[in-house]
Amino acid sequence: MPTLNSAIDLEKLRKDILAKRDPNKPCVTVCSGTGCHAYGCEGVAEAFVMEINRKDLQAKIDVRKTGCHGFCERGTVVVIFPEEICYLHVKPDDVSEIVQKTLIEKKTVDRLLYQDADGQKIVREGKIPFYKHQNRIIFGNNRFIDPKNTDDYIALGGYGALSKALFEMTPKKVLQEVKEANLRGRGGGGFPAGRKWESTRNAPAEPKYVIVNADEGDPGAYMDRSLLEGNPHSVLEGLLIGAYAIGSNEGYIYVREEYPLALENSKVAVEQAEEYGLLGENILGSGFDFDVTIHRGAGAFVSGESSALMSAIEGHVGEPRPKYIHTSIKGLWDKPTCLNNVETWANVPFIINKGADWFKRIGTENSKGTKIFSLVGKINNTGLVEVPMGITLREIVYDIGGGIPNGKKFKAVQTGGPSGGVLPESMLDVPVDFDELTAAGSMMGSGGMIVMDENTCMVDTARYYTEFLALESCGKCVPCREGLRQMLRILNNITNGEGKEGDIELLQELSEFIQEASLCALGQTAPNPVLSTIRHFRDEYEAHINQTRCPAGVCKELITYYINPDDCIGCGLCAKNCPTDAISKTEDKTYIIEQEKCIKCGSCLTVCPEKAKAVVLKDALYARY
Amino acid sequence: MYAREQISSESGFQEPGIADVVVIDDEESMCEGCRQTLEAEGFRAATARDGTEGLKLVEQAHPKVVLVDLKMPGMSGMEVLAKISEFDPSIVSIVITGYGSIDSAVETMKIGASDFLTKPFAPERLLESVKRGIELGRPAKEPEVTERAAPPLEAPEKALLDKQNVVLKGLEVLGQYYSLGFKERQFFDELRSLESEAKYHADRLGQVKEKGQAVLDIVGDLRLVDGIIQKYAYKKNALIQILLDIQMEFNWLPRHCLEWVSTRLNIPHTSIYTIANFYEALSLEPRGAHLIQICTGTACHVRGAAGLVDRVSSILGIEPGQTDSEQLFTLETVHCLGCCALGPVMVVDGEYYSSPSTKQIQEIAASYKVSREKGENYAHVELSH
Repeated sequence: MPTLNSAIDLEKLRKDILAKRDPNKPCVTVCSGTGCHAYGCEGVAEAFVMEINRKDLQAKIDVRKTGCHGFCERGTVVVIFPEEICYLHVKPDDVSEIVQKTLIEKKTVDRLLYQDADGQKIVREGKIPFYKHQNRIIFGNNRFIDPKNTDDYIALGGYGALSKALFEMTPKKVLQEVKEANLRGRGGGGFPAGRKWESTRNAPAEPKYVIVNADEGDPGAYMDRSLLEGNPHSVLEGLLIGAYAIGSNEGYIYVREEYPLALENSKVAVEQAEEYGLLGENILGSGFDFDVTIHRGAGAFVSGESSALMSAIEGHVGEPRPKYIHTSIKGLWDKPTCLNNVETWANVPFIINKGADWFKRIGTENSKGTKIFSLVGKINNTGLVEVPMGITLREIVYDIGGGIPNGKKFKAVQTGGPSGGVLPESMLDVPVDFDELTAAGSMMGSGGMIVMDENTCMVDTARYYTEFLALESCGKCVPCREGLRQMLRILNNITNGEGKEGDIELLQELSEFIQEASLCALGQTAPNPVLSTIRHFRDEYEAHINQTRCPAGVCKELITYYINPDDCIGCGLCAKNCPTDAISKTEDKTYIIEQEKCIKCGSCLTVCPEKAKAVVLKDALYARY
Repeated sequence: MYAREQISSESGFQEPGIADVVVIDDEESMCEGCRQTLEAEGFRAATARDGTEGLKLVEQAHPKVVLVDLKMPGMSGMEVLAKISEFDPSIVSIVITGYGSIDSAVETMKIGASDFLTKPFAPERLLESVKRGIELGRPAKEPEVTERAAPPLEAPEKALLDKQNVVLKGLEVLGQYYSLGFKERQFFDELRSLESEAKYHADRLGQVKEKGQAVLDIVGDLRLVDGIIQKYAYKKNALIQILLDIQMEFNWLPRHCLEWVSTRLNIPHTSIYTIANFYEALSLEPRGAHLIQICTGTACHVRGAAGLVDRVSSILGIEPGQTDSEQLFTLETVHCLGCCALGPVMVVDGEYYSSPSTKQIQEIAASYKVSREKGENYAHVELSH
C-alpha cells in the first residue's frame, strides 16, 4: 500500500481505485453482518465464488462480502449491482440458479424476491417498503463496502472529510461546524457532542484523549455493532476529525469482547489506515499525529457508562466514578477526555463533508439528523433501520416494520433499553425525538426498539429488566444494589402469584428512592421499566396480584398447559417434543399432560398441528382450573 | 570513618571476618534496632550508614548475611547489592525497603537478593529472614538431598525419588525459562506452592493426574501466561486484556495462572479476583469443551427465550452457568447476540440454531457426545433454520 503524504495523494488514490472499477460490471454483494452470519452467509458467499469460478466468469463478475444491510429478518440478503436486484433468504442451494438466470441470462429469480402484501414482486432493494421509508445516510454505505478493504471506503469518498478538515479548516472551525449542526450524542443521553468537544478542547491539561464507546450493552440492540462491523472506517474518520478539533493525539476504541466480528473488522481497519498513513504520525502530511488503541471490554453493562469505561481502560474494575468534575475535564487518567458512541462519531464525516446546514435540514427542532434503531421483538421485519428524527413510532412499527406477526394485537413498544420505558398504542404517534420521547416517559436510548404484542406480559417485562439491572449493578451505591434487589424480589413475588396489596405502591416508592440516590445513570434510570409499565399497564399488575392471573399467559407459575381431548388428533408430536416426558397417551388415543412433571416450556403448544390446535394455554393455575 | 568505630566500639569485636550479619542503612535507629535484635539472638552484627562504608565493612567482616536499605544517599542499595555479589556470591543479601518501593524490591530479587523486608518490620520477621539467609548460604544442604535418594528403593522412597526428580525437572525448566536468579531454596518454595496448585488444578478438573505431570503442565501454563504478559509489555493497566487472553487460551482462569499474573505484574490477588468476578467474559470455573449460549436479550425474551432455557436445562441436566460432570457442555445465557430475527436463538460453539425444538436439542447434545467418544471435538448437526 502506498503511504499517503498529502490530500492530493488521497485524491489520486481514489481516482486510481475508481479507474480500475467498472461501474457497470456486475457485483454480487452478500450481507455478512452477524445476523446473516447466523443464517450461514459464509456458505452463500463461498458458493457464489465457486459457481462463478466454475463458469469461468471471475473476470466479469465481482463478489463482495459487505457489512450489514439491515434486513435481518430475511437473511441472507444478496444484492446484485448495478441493477440493485435484491434476493432474500438466499441459501447456498439457490446460488447456481441466481448465477445462471440473473448474471448470465439477465432475468430475475422471482421466488427469492420480496413480495408485498398484494402479492407484487419487488426487484430493487430501495423499493422494498422496509427500505423505502428509511433515510439511510450513516448506515447506507454498509452495503457497498467490504469492511476489510479500505479501498472500498476510499472509493466512496472516504477520508475526504478528514482531508477537508485538515487542510481547509482550522480545529476551531471543525468544532464550530459540529456545534452548529447540533449533533446530539447517539448513546442515549443526547448531550450535544459539540459542547462536549469544546469543553475537552478548552480543558487546561494535556494530553487529551478521545474514545469510541462501542460497549453496546442494551439487550436487543445491535446497531453500533453492525456499524462498526460494516463500516469501521466511517467511525475511525469521525474519531480522527474529532481528535483534530479537540487537540488530541491518542484515542481508544472500546469494543465488547462478545462482538468478535466488530473487534476483528475494527482491528483490520486500524491496521490498514496505519499502512496508508491515515493514522500515526504526520497524517496526510498535515503535521497532525494520531494513534488508536483497541480495548476489549469483558462484558459488563455498567462499563458502557463513560467514567466506568475509562476506569476499565485504566485496567481497573469498570465501576462508575463520581462526576463532580466532568470527564471532559478529568477523564481517562484524570486528563480531559471526550467520549462519544459509535454512531455519533460516524455522523461527523457527513457533517464536515456536507455542512451543518445540510445536516440541520433533517430532523426536528431539537433533534437533528437520523437515528439508527434495532427494530426487534414481535415484529414482521426485524432489522436495523435508519430513520430521520421526527418520524413517528407508528411509521416505524407499521410502515417499515410491517406490523405484528401472526395477526396478533400490538401492545407496546419499548425504547431506551433497560433505562427506558414502554409506550402503549395510544402513544404511537409520538415522534422520534430526544425530548419528546423523554416527555412520553421513555427515552431515545442508544436505539433498541422492542415491539411487544398481546402475548407479552408487561409485569414479566419489568421483571426481566429489573433482573438484568440487579445483575449488572456494580454494587457501589447501596440504593441501586439493594433497592433493585428488593424490587426484583417484589416483582418475582408478583409473577409467582404471591403479590400482595400495596406492592405496586412499594415499587413506586423504592423507584423514587433509587432514582434520587444513585451515582450513575444505571441507577438513576433503573426504575424506568417498572414505572412506565405501572403507568400504562397497571391493570396487568392488578390481575397478577388480585386474581393470580397472567393475562398474557407468560408467567409460568400462573399458567397451565392443557390438551383438549375433543380436539386432540392423537399425532403424538407433543409427547415427542416434551423435554420432561410429561405427556402420555390415554386409552382413547388422545394425549394428556401430567401437570406435576410439566415445566411449562411451551414446546407442546408450538408443535401442535394448526388443524388440531388441541394444546391450549390457560391463564390460571391448574389447581383452580 | 565512624562506621569502623562502630565495629570496634559498639559491636565489641576487633577481628575482621567474623561478623555474621552486616546491616547497611542510613537511618541510625534502623541500624541500632537491627543490631540489638540480632545480638540478643546471639548473632554478631555490624552496621554501616552508607554504601561505601558498608562495602568496606563487608570486605573486612565477610559476613554470611547482609541487610541493605534500597534508598540511601550516595551509592544506591542496588549498586551495593551488585558489588556484594561481585565480591562473593555466596553472601546472602536481604533488602530493606520503605513501603512504596516494592517494585524495586522485585528488581533486587532478580539481581540476587534472597528476601526483602518492608519497613517497619517486627523483630521476629528480621530474625526469621536472617536465619533463613544463613541456612541458604550453608553449603551442607545438597548432600542431604542425595543422601535421601541413596537408600534401597522401597516403595515410599521410590515415590519420594520420583517426586524429587519431577520437582528437579520442573526446577530446571523454571530455571531455564525465568532465570530470575532466585536461590535454589526459593525454587523449592516456589515449586512446593506450585505442587499444591497442581493438585488443586488436577482435582478441579476432575482428572486425577500424575502429580509430577501436573507440575510440568503448570510450568508450561505459566510459560504461556508469561508470553501473554510480555505481549502487553508488563503494563499494569493491561490487566483486563491479559485476563481475556488467558481466558481465551484456557477457556477459564486457572488459579495458578492468576497467581502468576499477580507475581509478575505485582498486582494484589484481590484486585485480580475483583476483576475476574466483575466481568461476565471471565470465568473462575473450568468450562466444558462446548459452549452452549442462549440469548436472553429482550427480543429473544419476548419471543420465549425462558422456555428455551428450561428445555435445554432439563435435557442437559445443568442450569445456566453450570458445566456438566463430563466437562462436555457449559450452558450460558447471554444478553443479546444481535441476531434478533432468529430469536429465541441458541448458539453451540458458534453454530446458530433458531428456536430449536426439543428433538433438535436432543439430537445436538447426542451428536456431541458421539463425537467425543470418537475422539473428535467438533460436531455439527445440519438443521433447517
